[in-house]
Amino acid sequence: MILRRAALALCGLLLALPAAAQEATLRARMNADIRSTDPGTNRDANTDTVVLHMVEGLVAFREDTSIGPLLAERVDTSEDGLTYTFTLREGVRFHNGAVLTSADVKFAWDRYLRRETNWRCLPEFDGRGATRVAAIETPDPRTVVFRIERPSALFLTNMARPDCGGSGIYHRDSLNADGSWRAPIGTGPFRMGEWRRNQFIELTRFPGYAALPGQPDGHTGNKTALVDRVRWIIIPDSAAAKAALLSGAIDIDHDIASQDVQEMRARSDIRLAPVQSMGMAGLLFQTNDPLLRDVRIRRAIALSLDAPELVRAVSDGLVTYNPSVIPSASPFHGAVQREGYTRDIPEAQRLLRQAGYRGQTIRMLATRRYNAILDMAVLIQAQAAEAGITLEFEVIDWATQLDRYTRGDYAMMPFLYSARLDPSLSYEMVSGPKASQPRKVWDNPEVEALLRESMVTRDTGRRQAIFDQLHRRMLADVPMVVLYNDAAVGAYRTNVQGYRAWSTGQPRYWGVRIN
Amino acid sequence: MIGYAARRLVAAIPTLLLVAASVFLLMRLIPGDPAQLMLGDAATPEEVEALRRSMGLGEALPLQFAHWAGAALTGDLGRSITNGLPVLPLILERFGVTALIVLVAVGLAVLIAVPLGMLAAWKQNRPADLAVVGFATLMLSIPSFWLGLILLLVFGVWLRWLPVVGFVPFSEDIGAALAYVVLPITTLVLIEIGALTRMARAATIDVLRLDYISHARAKGLSEFTVLRRHALPNAFAPTLTLIGLVLGNLLGGIAVIETVFTLPGLGRLLVEAIFQRDYPVVQGVMLFVAAIYVAVNLFVDLAYPVFDPRVTAE
Amino acid sequence: MTLRLNLVLGGLLLAAVAGTAATASVWTPFNPVAVNLRRRLAAPTDPYWLGTDEFGRDVLSRLMVGASTGLTVALVTVLVAMALGITIGLLAGFFRGWTDRALMALNDALLAFPGILFALGLLTVIGPSKWGIVLALGLAYAPAVARVVRGSVLSLREREFVEASRALGNSEAYTLWRHVAPNCVSPLTVLATSMFGWVILSESALSFLGLGVPPPAPTWGNMLAAARPYLETATWLSIAPGVMIALSLLGTNLLGDALRDILDPRT
Repeated sequence: MILRRAALALCGLLLALPAAAQEATLRARMNADIRSTDPGTNRDANTDTVVLHMVEGLVAFREDTSIGPLLAERVDTSEDGLTYTFTLREGVRFHNGAVLTSADVKFAWDRYLRRETNWRCLPEFDGRGATRVAAIETPDPRTVVFRIERPSALFLTNMARPDCGGSGIYHRDSLNADGSWRAPIGTGPFRMGEWRRNQFIELTRFPGYAALPGQPDGHTGNKTALVDRVRWIIIPDSAAAKAALLSGAIDIDHDIASQDVQEMRARSDIRLAPVQSMGMAGLLFQTNDPLLRDVRIRRAIALSLDAPELVRAVSDGLVTYNPSVIPSASPFHGAVQREGYTRDIPEAQRLLRQAGYRGQTIRMLATRRYNAILDMAVLIQAQAAEAGITLEFEVIDWATQLDRYTRGDYAMMPFLYSARLDPSLSYEMVSGPKASQPRKVWDNPEVEALLRESMVTRDTGRRQAIFDQLHRRMLADVPMVVLYNDAAVGAYRTNVQGYRAWSTGQPRYWGVRIN
Repeated sequence: MIGYAARRLVAAIPTLLLVAASVFLLMRLIPGDPAQLMLGDAATPEEVEALRRSMGLGEALPLQFAHWAGAALTGDLGRSITNGLPVLPLILERFGVTALIVLVAVGLAVLIAVPLGMLAAWKQNRPADLAVVGFATLMLSIPSFWLGLILLLVFGVWLRWLPVVGFVPFSEDIGAALAYVVLPITTLVLIEIGALTRMARAATIDVLRLDYISHARAKGLSEFTVLRRHALPNAFAPTLTLIGLVLGNLLGGIAVIETVFTLPGLGRLLVEAIFQRDYPVVQGVMLFVAAIYVAVNLFVDLAYPVFDPRVTAE
Repeated sequence: MTLRLNLVLGGLLLAAVAGTAATASVWTPFNPVAVNLRRRLAAPTDPYWLGTDEFGRDVLSRLMVGASTGLTVALVTVLVAMALGITIGLLAGFFRGWTDRALMALNDALLAFPGILFALGLLTVIGPSKWGIVLALGLAYAPAVARVVRGSVLSLREREFVEASRALGNSEAYTLWRHVAPNCVSPLTVLATSMFGWVILSESALSFLGLGVPPPAPTWGNMLAAARPYLETATWLSIAPGVMIALSLLGTNLLGDALRDILDPRT
C-alpha cells in the first residue's frame, strides 16, 4: 500500500517535473534584426512587430482595420472634430509597476512631437500632413485632451499605425538621463528580455498585464500572454528558415516563401495560416517617360497582361487579381474596386499602332531581393511580348531600386508597397505632384483635390463615393497596373495553438499557447 | 627578418589607405542611401534629407572621409547607421565566429589535402592518383551553398542529428557550439580541399623531378622518408601561397555559407551592410578585412623561406 | 599513355559543352525564355526532356543557352585575370624593391576586397550585365594570379639557370621572358583551370546573393540559384545545371593537367 502510494507519488512527480521546470518559449522566425526598440523612429516592419508586443497606444487597429480603444477606455470627439478626449482605463500598469496616468501619456507624446525624436509620423501631427496637434491637456490623471487645428478623418488611424509605433505610451524611465532612448518600459503583455544582435531578441511575459476582456482583436482586445517567453530568431534566408521550421528549431514563421506553401501544406506536423495582406503589388509606369507618357501605350501594356493568370502564378494560387489600390481586406473594397483590365491583345495592338509604337525597347527595373518582383517582371515581359511589346530587364539590388523609385528614375517596374491601413493612405501613397515628390506615380490635380476631401470628411458614404471615383479614374489614366495584395502565409508546428494571421502582416504572439 | 617584417608593415599602410579611400568612394557611388531604406516607400524628399543630415551624411564627401579616417586612426570606426552600435566591437564579435570557422576549416582542409596531393603525386597516373584527382575535381565543381543546403537537408532535417539554425558562443556551451559549427565547417573543408589537393599534387610532382630527390633516393632512403623530409617542405611552399589566398577569399566567400547556416559572422555582416548601405559598417569591415589580409600574407611570405630554402626573406 | 587519356577525355567533354553552346545559338527545342504557366515545374517527360522550371520554361533549352553564356563569361574572365595577374606578378617578383612594393600594395588592396563588394560596386556603377561580371570577377581574381606568379618567380630567380642567363650578359627583360616566364606555366595552368571553376561557381554564388547575370537570360549559376527553393520538390532543377557545371569543370581540369604535362619545360 505504502509502496503503491510512493510509486504513485513518484509518477506524479515525474509527470509534474517537466511542466514545472520547463518554461514555455515560443520561438518565431524573423527575417532581419530589428533596428531599435524606440517606437516609430529607427524602425522597419520587424521593429514595429517587436515594439508593439511591449508598448500600447491610446487606440489601436481592430482585426478589420477599424479603430478601437486600447489604453483609452473611451474616446469622445467634439462636434467640430477638433477636440479628442481620451479617458484612460483604470489599473493599467507599466512594466516597472508604475500606474499609467495622463501625465505619462503627455510625456510620451511630447517626445513624439519633438523634431529631434525623428518620429516617423511627426508630419501627420505637426501640420505638414493630416493635421496639427495644438495642445495636449491633462485635466485629471485619467483624462487626456488633444486639441487639433484641422478636422481629420485620419487622426486616430495615424495614431494607431504600426509604423508609427502605434504611438505607444512608455514610462519616462525608458529614457536615459540625457533624454536618449534606453529600453521600452511599456504597458504591453511582454517586456524586454535579451537582445543579442543579429541572433535573437527575446521578450518575457509581463505578469502584471491589465488585459481587456474577450478575445484578441487586432492590436487591441484581450492581449494576455500565454507563453513565458517569445524569442524571435533572426534567420534571413528563407530556405534556412524552412529547414528550421521542419526540424523544430523554430515553432512559427509568420511569412513563409510562397514556393514552399505546397510542400508545407502536405506535411502533417505543420499547419498553415494564410491571409490576404494589405501590402500591394503592382506595375508602375513613369508617366514622364518619352514613350510611356502616351496613355495609349500604357493602356496597351495593361491590356496585354493576363492579370488573373499572372497573379495566380506569382502567388502560387493563393490570392486573386485585385485591380484597386484599396486592399481587398478593406471594408471600403466593393464591387467597383473589382473592375479591372481584361486581356485584349488586338485592342492593345491597335492602341500601339495608333501611338506609333514600333517595337522600341522599354526598360523595366526588377530586383532579386523580393521573389515576387522578379517573378512579376518575368511574366510581364513574356505576356507583353505576345502583343509585340519589347521589354528589357534591368536587375538591381533593392536599395538601388528604392532609390530609383524615390527619384522617379525608371520607365516601368513591378513594385511592392507596404501595407496602408486606410484607403486615403493607399491613394496618398501613389498620388501626388511629381515635381516636388518624384516618387509619386499618379500626378493629377483633380485626383489630389478628391483625395484631400477623403482625408477630411468623416462621412463614410461620401468617402466610399470618392474612392469609387478614384478607382475608375485610375483605370482610365493607367499610371500603374495594380495586381494583387500579396498573401502572407504563416506556418507553424502543430504544438502552437491560437495563432491567427492578420491582413496587416503584423504577427501577434499574445493569445498564443505552446504545448 | 624582423626588419623585413617591420618594413612590410610600413608598406601595408598605403595599401590600407587605398582600400579605405576606394571603399568609401565606391559605397558613395552606388545608388541608394540608408535614409531612404529606413523610410521606405512613403518618404518625402524633405524627410529623407532630414534623416540624412541626422546620420551625418549631409557634409561634403572629402570632409566625411577626413572625419571618418581621422577617427579610424584612433581606433574609432564610428557607429552603425542601422542599429547605432559601435562598429569596432561589432566587427570583433562577428570576426570571432568567422575566424573560428575559417581557421578550423582551412586547417582541416590542409591536413587532408596535402597528404592526399602528395600521395597522388607519388602514385602519379596510377589508380590512386586518378581517384584523388577525380575527388578533388568533383569538390571543385560543387557550389558551396548547394553543398551546404544538401548537408543541412540531410543532417538537419532528415536525420535531425544537428541543429539547422543559430549559433552558441564557445564560451557558453562547448558541446552546443560544436554542434552548430560542424556543418558549416564540413562544407568549407569539402569546398577547399579541391583546390588545395591539386596544388599540393602539382607542387609535389615538380619537386619529385628535381635532382636532389633522385640523390636522396639513390642514397637508399625509403620512399616515405624522401617524401616527408625532402618533398613535403618543398611542395608545401606554393601550397602556402594558396592557403593565404584561400583564407582571404573565404572572408568574402563565407558570406554565402553564413547565410545558409545563419551564422552571425563577418561575411554576413558585410553583405547585409552593403545591401542596407550601412556605410560605417562596410567601411569598418573592409578596413578590418584588409588589415587581416595584409597580416596573413605577411605571415605567408615570412614562412616561405622556412619551407623553401631557395628563397631568402630580405 | 595516360597523358593521352587526359587530353582526349578533357577535350571531348569541353568539345561537347562548346558544341552545346554552339548549337544553342542556332537551335533549341523551345524558346528558353518563353513562359508557360500551365506547365510549371513539370517533371522530365516527353517534349520537355529535362522538365520545366517555376515559370514553365524548358530546362533543356535554358541549359543549352546557359552553356554559351557560362563558357563565355568564364573564359573571358580567366583571360582578363591572367593577363592582369601575370603582368603584375612577373614585374613584382623579378624586379623586387620598390616596383615590388608598389605593385604588391596595389595588389593587396585589390586582393583585400572581397569579390562580393567588388562585384556589387562595379555592377551598380556600370550597370548589371555579363560583361560587368567578367570585369568584376576578372579584377577580383587577378591578384591571386599575381601572387602565385610572384611566388614562383621569387623561387626561380635564385636558380642557376637564371643566374647563368644574367652572367651571360642577357638583359633583365630577356631573362624574364625567356627563362622565368616559362617556368611559371605549370602552377599557372593549375591555377587557371581551378579559376575557370571558381568563376562559374562565383557567378552562381553572386546569383545566390542577388548579383549574378540578370534574368531572364539563363546561366547555369542563376538556374542553380533559382532552383534552390525547389531542392526537395523539383530536384531536377538543381541536378541539371549542377551536372553541367561538374562536367565542364572536369573537362577543363583534365585538359589543364594534360596541357601542364605537355608544356612543362622540364620534361
